Amino acid sequence: MGPPPESEVLVNAQVEKVGRFTTRHIANHWLMLATFLGLVITGMPQKYAAAMWAKGIVLIIGGVERMRFIHHMLGTIMALQLLWHVVEEVWLHLVRRRAMPMVPWVSDVKDFVQQVKYNLGMAKQPPRMDRYTFAEKLEYLALVWGTAVMVLTGLVLLYPVRWSSLFPGEWILAAKAAHGGEAVLAFLSILTWHVYFVHVRHWNTAIFTGKLDEEAYAEEHPLELARIRRSEPPPPAPRQRWRVVLFAVVTVVLVAGVVALMVWLRGTGAGLGAFKAARFS
Amino acid sequence: MESKRFISTLHCLAGVGFALVLSAPTLAADDSACLECHGSRQQVTDAASAMDLKLTPDRIGKLVVQPAQTGTVHDGIGCTDCHPKATEVPHPAGMLQDNPCATCHDDALKQLNKSSHRDPAGGSQLRAECWACHGAHNVRSVKDPQSAVAPINVIGRCLACHNKRAYLVGVHGQAVQLAGLDVAATCVSCHGAHDILAPSEAGSRVARRNISFTCGKCHGRVAEIYRKSVHGAALMADDNPDVPTCVDCHEAHGTPDPTTPRFRLASPQICGRCHNDRTMMAKYGLSTNVYKTYVADFHGTTAELFRATSPDQPLNQAVCYDCHGYHDVESVRKVGQAQIDKRLLVRCQVCHKGATASFLSAWTGHYIPSPTKYAPIYWVRVFYRLVIPGTIGFFLLYIAVDVWGRRRNRRSS
Repeated sequence: MGPPPESEVLVNAQVEKVGRFTTRHIANHWLMLATFLGLVITGMPQKYAAAMWAKGIVLIIGGVERMRFIHHMLGTIMALQLLWHVVEEVWLHLVRRRAMPMVPWVSDVKDFVQQVKYNLGMAKQPPRMDRYTFAEKLEYLALVWGTAVMVLTGLVLLYPVRWSSLFPGEWILAAKAAHGGEAVLAFLSILTWHVYFVHVRHWNTAIFTGKLDEEAYAEEHPLELARIRRSEPPPPAPRQRWRVVLFAVVTVVLVAGVVALMVWLRGTGAGLGAFKAARFS
Repeated sequence: MESKRFISTLHCLAGVGFALVLSAPTLAADDSACLECHGSRQQVTDAASAMDLKLTPDRIGKLVVQPAQTGTVHDGIGCTDCHPKATEVPHPAGMLQDNPCATCHDDALKQLNKSSHRDPAGGSQLRAECWACHGAHNVRSVKDPQSAVAPINVIGRCLACHNKRAYLVGVHGQAVQLAGLDVAATCVSCHGAHDILAPSEAGSRVARRNISFTCGKCHGRVAEIYRKSVHGAALMADDNPDVPTCVDCHEAHGTPDPTTPRFRLASPQICGRCHNDRTMMAKYGLSTNVYKTYVADFHGTTAELFRATSPDQPLNQAVCYDCHGYHDVESVRKVGQAQIDKRLLVRCQVCHKGATASFLSAWTGHYIPSPTKYAPIYWVRVFYRLVIPGTIGFFLLYIAVDVWGRRRNRRSS
């Protein structure tokens, strides 16, 4: 166990930094950070409306209506991020034939068991993990799953009348319960799991700078570091025509589906204008 | 020629002098004697010192009597008509002991002696003497804007003793003072004048049972609808002590404008005062969940946030009375579920254009979801009630083990 001997020499000289994230990763994280925090700040006062702090936040933002507008806008951005992510992953996996290192696999369960055993002193070695640890993969799974739940239930809440033509109205209230429950789950997960792994366990700034200390890299991602050291060329991936066509079809279907959904939902929200006309005319 | 002109000038002067005398008719021949002493502060002071009397400045002020001006109802009545003992100088004590008004206004005094302003001991020491409201020397008709009991002035007369200043900012007070609406309710419109009784007395205009009729003098149709509602009918049938009367929702004195967003936003709390009261609702087998479930719903949450943060902003969400009505509130037990659904859908469609019957269950009708009622909502809630603590508990447990393990491994290495 422990860091390899050569790194001990390096610590005294200058800490070697290993490239981990590209600008695309960094931008993605910033965008997710902003939308997530914004949605929590504008969403929680709606779930806990009776609380004093909720009213304080509404006052600071400048009214419920404005807060809801911001919430809907940020939600839309997050939904587009999810859509973009799916299209991007399909492109990378299908056409560029890259691996999907963030998707959890059976080996992650083994790594988890190994880590617990090691922490309890029942194993001599910690798990040797690749580009993403099981903790990171769990968070990725929760993020994608959580975003999907939030986007879908959010759309139900935005257009209740139209959705009630597909299923009973009580499902809309079930969606509201899920939207609130999932929000609390996501926020608390970030507060515990995420904060512990990247702020407490290590002060890990890789997602902002793009680089991680060689020592930390060796501890958390030894398999990937070894591959980087061997500087293996990526496996050859000749571009195949059918893969590009399939990608195009998937993308078009996805985007067309989203557009069709929005057209279907358009104009079915309840607005102040409709209310005023009915009440005062 | 000269003498003729002189005589005609004299005639003219005499004419002018006569006209001057006519223009001050209340200055009766015998009143002028009174006014020699009571005409001004100086005269009162001089007369007092001549009689070796020591008077406070306040007392002096009260003893100054301006000759009554034209337009008082007591035009032509002399000082001694009301103050018969005044002929004796110096005046004897008890100049006003016998109420002089009673001589002519016996009927009013009789009414007063049965009202809350009577002498509690049964004597003639009224709680409010005639002149406390009508003034002493400048008594005028109610219709005269200068009258002490004209709508705009009577408020001040009552407020001098009764601390009900909220009236001044209520719709009625504002209408009288600012809009000059003399037809708007003043104190006497609701409480009466000479026959005022406390609300606790059965004959009072503002006793619970009578309020709707008193308000109904102006708000007739509303009062009639109210008396047919579940609240009004219970009051009329058996003097129910719990149901609201007009003033329980609208306030007796500070009556707010019910067409403002502020009133609309505050209305769920008005209904909640009773419908969130466990002991009161238990008497009628009604659930107090109605308020809680409303505030937990999207409409109620929004209304609550609006009320707390922007109480003057128009609200586009349903409050209690949008569905239940206000003056015509009906018991949901009387009409069957089918009728409720039918009416509710019409109500939903006012804001939710295109809503169909399947949209109705998007509101639980104040029920709390359970495995038998609104089950999908119940199970989603149960799911998150288990998953949130389960997940976060697992995270925290893992983190604790990790922290402990890392510390132990660092120490051993």
